[in-house]
Amino acid sequence: MLNQPKFADDIMTLFAQRKALPVHIPVIQPADPFLDMAGEDLRRRIFLTESETGESLCLRPEFTIPVCLRHIETASGTPQRYAYLGQVFRQRRDGENEFYQAGIEDLGDADIAKADAHAIRDASDTLTALLPGIELHTTLGDQTVFEAVVAALGLPDGWQSRLIHAFGDPALLDSLLQSLSQASGKVPGIDDRVAALLDSGDEAGLTELIDRQMVATGYMTNASRTPAEIAHRLVQKARLSNARLDAKALDVLKTFLALDTPMRDAADALAAFSRIAGLDLDAALNIFNARVQALEKAGFDLSSSRYRAAFGRPLDYYTGLVFEMSAQGAVLAGGGRFDRLLTLLGAKAAIPSVGFSLWLDRIAAARAVKSERPSQ
Amino acid sequence: MSVTIALPSKGRMKDDAMAIFARAGLEIVNIGNERSYRGVITGMDGAEVAFLSAGEIARELGNGNIDMGVTGEDLVREDLSAADERVTFCARLGFGHADVVVAVPDVWIDVDTMADLGDVAADFRARHGRRLRIATKYWRLTQQFFSAQHGIQVYRIVESLGATEGAPASGQADIIVDITSTGSTLLANHLKILSDGIILESEACLVRSRSDVRSAPDETLLDDIVQKIQTISA
Repeated sequence: MLNQPKFADDIMTLFAQRKALPVHIPVIQPADPFLDMAGEDLRRRIFLTESETGESLCLRPEFTIPVCLRHIETASGTPQRYAYLGQVFRQRRDGENEFYQAGIEDLGDADIAKADAHAIRDASDTLTALLPGIELHTTLGDQTVFEAVVAALGLPDGWQSRLIHAFGDPALLDSLLQSLSQASGKVPGIDDRVAALLDSGDEAGLTELIDRQMVATGYMTNASRTPAEIAHRLVQKARLSNARLDAKALDVLKTFLALDTPMRDAADALAAFSRIAGLDLDAALNIFNARVQALEKAGFDLSSSRYRAAFGRPLDYYTGLVFEMSAQGAVLAGGGRFDRLLTLLGAKAAIPSVGFSLWLDRIAAARAVKSERPSQ
Repeated sequence: MSVTIALPSKGRMKDDAMAIFARAGLEIVNIGNERSYRGVITGMDGAEVAFLSAGEIARELGNGNIDMGVTGEDLVREDLSAADERVTFCARLGFGHADVVVAVPDVWIDVDTMADLGDVAADFRARHGRRLRIATKYWRLTQQFFSAQHGIQVYRIVESLGATEGAPASGQADIIVDITSTGSTLLANHLKILSDGIILESEACLVRSRSDVRSAPDETLLDDIVQKIQTISA
């Protein structure tokens, strides 16, 4: 075991003052929830093992998922703020494979703007307490605004979900925008019978055809995608195949994604963008502006933070706010809103959630640099 | 000083590899009896031949336990992370052709490309209460292709050690990543390859382990073998 950083107690004291309940999360965790939520790519980066009975286990790679699972299992009421501090284990080519993280998960607070603002402020206050006088840079993004832009452009559903899915992955989003700006023409890879049904818009006929084919070839019709689901998506795809993203919409999306502005000006910049683009973004911008006001009310200094429109995380459980805090080029804290996570993990009702995590190894390094240069 | 060259220990791969070496003027003789797993190259002192399974050859090249070997590119790229930093592909040998492909049930008439598959994977959990499942024995190649190249993050791999092509019909997985040479097995199991679903066009290769501790005479010996094989396989 790595020694706990000396400032660990200070963090937990601070978290307790912020009304966050400390939770104990076992180091050994079932691996499935992590792989299910974050994807197979995580497999290379966690330490996996197997129980005697064949269950996949891993060393805790992060805290958010187990904290949420624990919340569901203990059937604790909401709202509830949880605090954690402990080691996490990840395979990294550069850097240590085990390090400490601490953070707060805020589950079930219906006041989105206030909860967002508290997560940002708590992360910032903790870093400032640990690194007095340090110059902290905060970057914020908001998936809700991107979703509103895509919806207001009136793009077809299929495209909207593709774009939202790619948000936060610049390379993927770029190639998607490019492919959407070219019409694909006729649907490839289908035979004449299917094409005829498709031309006549006969979705029921398509469903029946697929169903018969599945039965004839020995596929179970209930084990995976159903005939109706396949037929429906084919019809949707055919409708999109002759459409293409027009130059104006492409231009609007690119202009939006290039927005990168000081937080103080972000509300004005977004308002100007929506006016010039002729898009009604009021609902999303109200949320955005309420968060800015809540941040000011919570005493967060906006001057060192920026809003970057393209900033997001390409995992499907993140929803609204994302943020990152860095100093001297190192990311010291990351956080965001994950309103979909708890239901994905099995919660019966939707639970709005926001949280952040601090990288204690990087904070320790920043403290060491500071103490070497006390005059700065 | 000596170098170890590994050849496949059985089957078509072994016969074809031996034939290539023979055509290059490198005659391989087994030590002891014909079924022994060690050999030498006639007239080439300092070159030892080991007969190993194709999978072991890939792994041992990565470990640096053997200096050169004949094995499938798919096995090397699957077994070794950062393969191009650890080995050099010196020659493509023209046999053992097999493509590693993404194949889906052919009744998925709405899915023709990886982008289509990305759409399906994205809302699979909402529709079916679980992630899209891929049966494969190619964990690494699948992850690189899906996650890094096509930005598809949410899916689960179901390990399959044989008869992978049967997994979708039996409900163990939704789609597969597997090797195919003629495509007939996929066809017989009502699977189709996505139009941009070829992950790797693999064949048997002469592969050299990158090592910075070999002596100069050993390097020269390996250079000589590479040059002879390249001449006839070009």
